Amino acid sequence: MDRMPGRGPASLRRRWPVFGLIVLLALCLSLAGCGNQGKKENGNILRFYTWKPNQPEVWEEIVKIFEAEHPGVKVWREIGPHSSTSFHDLLAQKLKNRSKDLDVFLMDVVWPAEFAAAGWALALDDRFRKADRSRFFANTIQANTYGGKIYGVPLYIDAGMLYYRRDLLAKHHFKPPETWPELVRQAAVITAGERGIYGFSGQFKQYEGLVCNMMEYVMANKGCLVNPRQGKPGLAEPPAREAVLFVRDHLIGNAAPAGALAYEEPESLALFVQGKAVFHRNWPYAWEAANDPARSRVAGKTGVAPLPAFPGGKSHAALGGWQLGISPYSENKDLAWDFVRFLTSDRIQKHLALKAGLAPTRKDLYDDREILAACPQFKEMKGVFVSAAPRPVSPLYPALSNIMQRYFSRAISGAGAGIDQESRLASEEMEKILTLAP
Amino acid sequence: MTILTRNMHGLSPRRRRERLFAAALLFPCFAFVALFAFYPIVHSLYLSLHRIILGLPGLAQPFVYLENYRQLWGDSVARHALTNTILFVAVSTTCELFLGLAMALTINRSFRGRGLIRAAVLIPWAIPTVVASQMWRFINNDHYGFLNYLLFGNDLASYQAWLADPSFAMVAIMVADIWKTSAFAALIILAGLQTIPDELYEAARLDGATAWQQFARITLPLIKPALLIALLFRTMDAFRVFDLVFVMTQGGPADATNVLQFYGYKKMFAEGLLGYGATVSVLVFLIVLGLSLVYVRFLGGEMREEKP
Amino acid sequence: MTAYLRRLLFFLALALIATFSVLPFLWFIATSLKTQVEVTAIPPTLLPSFSLAFYRSALDDYHLLHYLKNSVIVAGAATVGTIAISLFAGYALARLPLRHKPLIMGSLLVVAMFPQISIAGPVWQILAALDWLNSYQGLILPYITLSLPLGVWIMTGFFRELPRELEDAARVDGCSHLQTLFRVIVPLAAPGVFTAAILVFIYAWNEFFFALLIMTQRPYQTLPVGIALFQGQYTIPWGEIAAASTIATIPLVLLVLLFQRRIVRGLSAGAIKG
Repeated sequence: MDRMPGRGPASLRRRWPVFGLIVLLALCLSLAGCGNQGKKENGNILRFYTWKPNQPEVWEEIVKIFEAEHPGVKVWREIGPHSSTSFHDLLAQKLKNRSKDLDVFLMDVVWPAEFAAAGWALALDDRFRKADRSRFFANTIQANTYGGKIYGVPLYIDAGMLYYRRDLLAKHHFKPPETWPELVRQAAVITAGERGIYGFSGQFKQYEGLVCNMMEYVMANKGCLVNPRQGKPGLAEPPAREAVLFVRDHLIGNAAPAGALAYEEPESLALFVQGKAVFHRNWPYAWEAANDPARSRVAGKTGVAPLPAFPGGKSHAALGGWQLGISPYSENKDLAWDFVRFLTSDRIQKHLALKAGLAPTRKDLYDDREILAACPQFKEMKGVFVSAAPRPVSPLYPALSNIMQRYFSRAISGAGAGIDQESRLASEEMEKILTLAP
Repeated sequence: MTILTRNMHGLSPRRRRERLFAAALLFPCFAFVALFAFYPIVHSLYLSLHRIILGLPGLAQPFVYLENYRQLWGDSVARHALTNTILFVAVSTTCELFLGLAMALTINRSFRGRGLIRAAVLIPWAIPTVVASQMWRFINNDHYGFLNYLLFGNDLASYQAWLADPSFAMVAIMVADIWKTSAFAALIILAGLQTIPDELYEAARLDGATAWQQFARITLPLIKPALLIALLFRTMDAFRVFDLVFVMTQGGPADATNVLQFYGYKKMFAEGLLGYGATVSVLVFLIVLGLSLVYVRFLGGEMREEKP
Repeated sequence: MTAYLRRLLFFLALALIATFSVLPFLWFIATSLKTQVEVTAIPPTLLPSFSLAFYRSALDDYHLLHYLKNSVIVAGAATVGTIAISLFAGYALARLPLRHKPLIMGSLLVVAMFPQISIAGPVWQILAALDWLNSYQGLILPYITLSLPLGVWIMTGFFRELPRELEDAARVDGCSHLQTLFRVIVPLAAPGVFTAAILVFIYAWNEFFFALLIMTQRPYQTLPVGIALFQGQYTIPWGEIAAASTIATIPLVLLVLLFQRRIVRGLSAGAIKG
């Protein structure tokens, strides 16, 4: 015990202030945190749980317009993660704990049934009248309806589209393909002539987007995920299995890169805008991204068309889009409804279409000249929107989706026990869930 | 408090005061832990004995004894998640310990620029896991990823889709974890290395011991406590891996990277099956508990010594 | 093995370790200096065009400094709190007479073993009841709790190694327990404190799940949550994320550089065992 690092009594006394300071700092920090920053303000605050918009200025404008028309009201936006599943989980966390911190929120198109059954969304029948509802796309209204009541108002619509390289198709005198086998054929011809380009790019990672993508193939082959009349899963039926086999054998690793098994929207879009894919499946937002010279190498060379079908079937796009819901625990329900009605009004939907490229859910806006001038792609897309197909409607949709995601991912990657057995197992599991829910 | 101060009658006032003082010192620690840890843990155990489906409140939340556990036993997806987790823990913890040991040994020596190398080693660890996950997702990309560029240069045809292949995806996650957390092991082992007095090495060198002998006979035994702490805490953390999977692969492809805590998260937060999700957590806890007991029994004799 | 060969191997090991640690991050820094189109170029371009656009965007549009500030506050306070509590608890467990010490230390470890996703739910409810969601203490307190096992174990192990003569001397001089603790033990705890402090700080700095759940309002969000929110619905702004990581990491590296010198000094000075 020779060397003690200078710990004589004098230096001991010098250490007191340091230690005391540290304790004081800790206390101060905790006390500082205790002061809630204006959360307890009364007077009308409307809390809106949303994700970060791609064009924040547009939303700032809209909020300002609302606040100007409703003096004394402040709209407080809480921004959640953009991933639909994470947004869902955080929103559910608030609602299942009856949080009073929430008035209006965004819902993905597959959530209204779940929220309605769990008591997380206010029924809007008395406010959102039938006459008004008929001005919206029927499938979006249907997606917001559960048990005969309506629980959300559609804000904007999404549906799967086929994007293609107009220049490359023109070079070979091809018209946009009407069937998937034709797409694969066209892609093979085109990629044989070009260097370093794939035929197709889509979203095949194990996530919700996979269900959207695969549903489009299954339904284009006259199959279904869940038979709407019997309420039974359709994955093990021949049309569904054939469609999945087609994806596994002709797309993944052939027309599309093997890496597509890890693609969400950003990665698959990157392939297309870098000029490395002839065809691309994505939501309407991709139009703008692909034609922006700052972000894309193929600006001005793209076209959009409805997705192909299989021979004998019809093209079906997956219905997407976001709705507005009101929390049943909100203390500001009337004001919340004013806000919802405001956001989904003709005026604001037009504003969102012109400034942010969000496709409106009000049918008559598609005849508006200004909108068509600014977004000519909507003309082509409207037909797809009208016929877009919803995913299975169930209060236990997340559980169903997880089963389908797992099955599809295993089937198209060739992992697992082979498609017959896997589809049967997945169907059985889905059956168990479907029998639980009314 | 009584558990600590029982049988105080026969003690001298001094010992009694000591016991009370000790209890007082421990109080803040246990106040925190009781509220923010023990209560949630007990609550989870309670939940795991009920069937809860948030999406169907009409079904109520009945007490179902061990039904959830029985269901978990037969759950093939959970079993797959368990094997994935065990694989992940085994490989990444082992690699991290070895790499951490190598790092600690190298930066323990004196050489010019040591501070810079230390900073370099600690950088991966200082980057938030979410950021590192995004970074590795970017690096693993099959077209614009750095890994492919390093391995194949401009030969695009050979580029692999690391995160899309069920076999490679887990490897990618392990690499990301090893990259990120070896520094943790290195730091703990370094602290252990620093307590070994130079005189021991001097004496050994004078006796003619080789470098390997010095390492095996002096270094290894003396850093055993540090190795044990590193192993223990890394195992506990690796079994609960979540952030990496959440950001990089979301459990795919084909469930290849579905680990237990991610599976539990999906059940609880996404599907609203609070009871079943809690059951998964209890399973993870029991496994980790078992492993820790094994470690402490076989490797940590000194840690359990009672001091007078 | 000749000395020359050994030196060569040593420097080779050093180079490998340093490269492995730093190369991915260097790549990310290069990414942060590219233009938007270059970022997803196929095949990747090595040399960036040294554009600062992403940095500007990360700081202005993405409020990076704000998230950094919150992370520093939360991680700093959590570290201070954990160290203070661990110091006391560690000393008690190492030195003072207590029954059932293994049980106590074991029960602390239980906290570190239980999956955090299950702990998160009830913690959220407790915080909601106290109206401490979206407040600094709402995140600091759980962080302290979850760091305590590691902190207490480190301090206990450290205090066990201290020679008893110091305390006995103080006791003989007439110091009470409290005085012994503050006058003799605490000053000597520096090396253990610094090790534990770094570990706790980095843990709190990196922590994601609790932060995501508890801090849903921007004024309080920490860096991991902030960066996770960079991601748009269909876009991942790789460039801004890369820029943000660079800005976020460099100060931390400097901090760590500073801290680890003190560890070394403290540890080598702490050759108390003689």
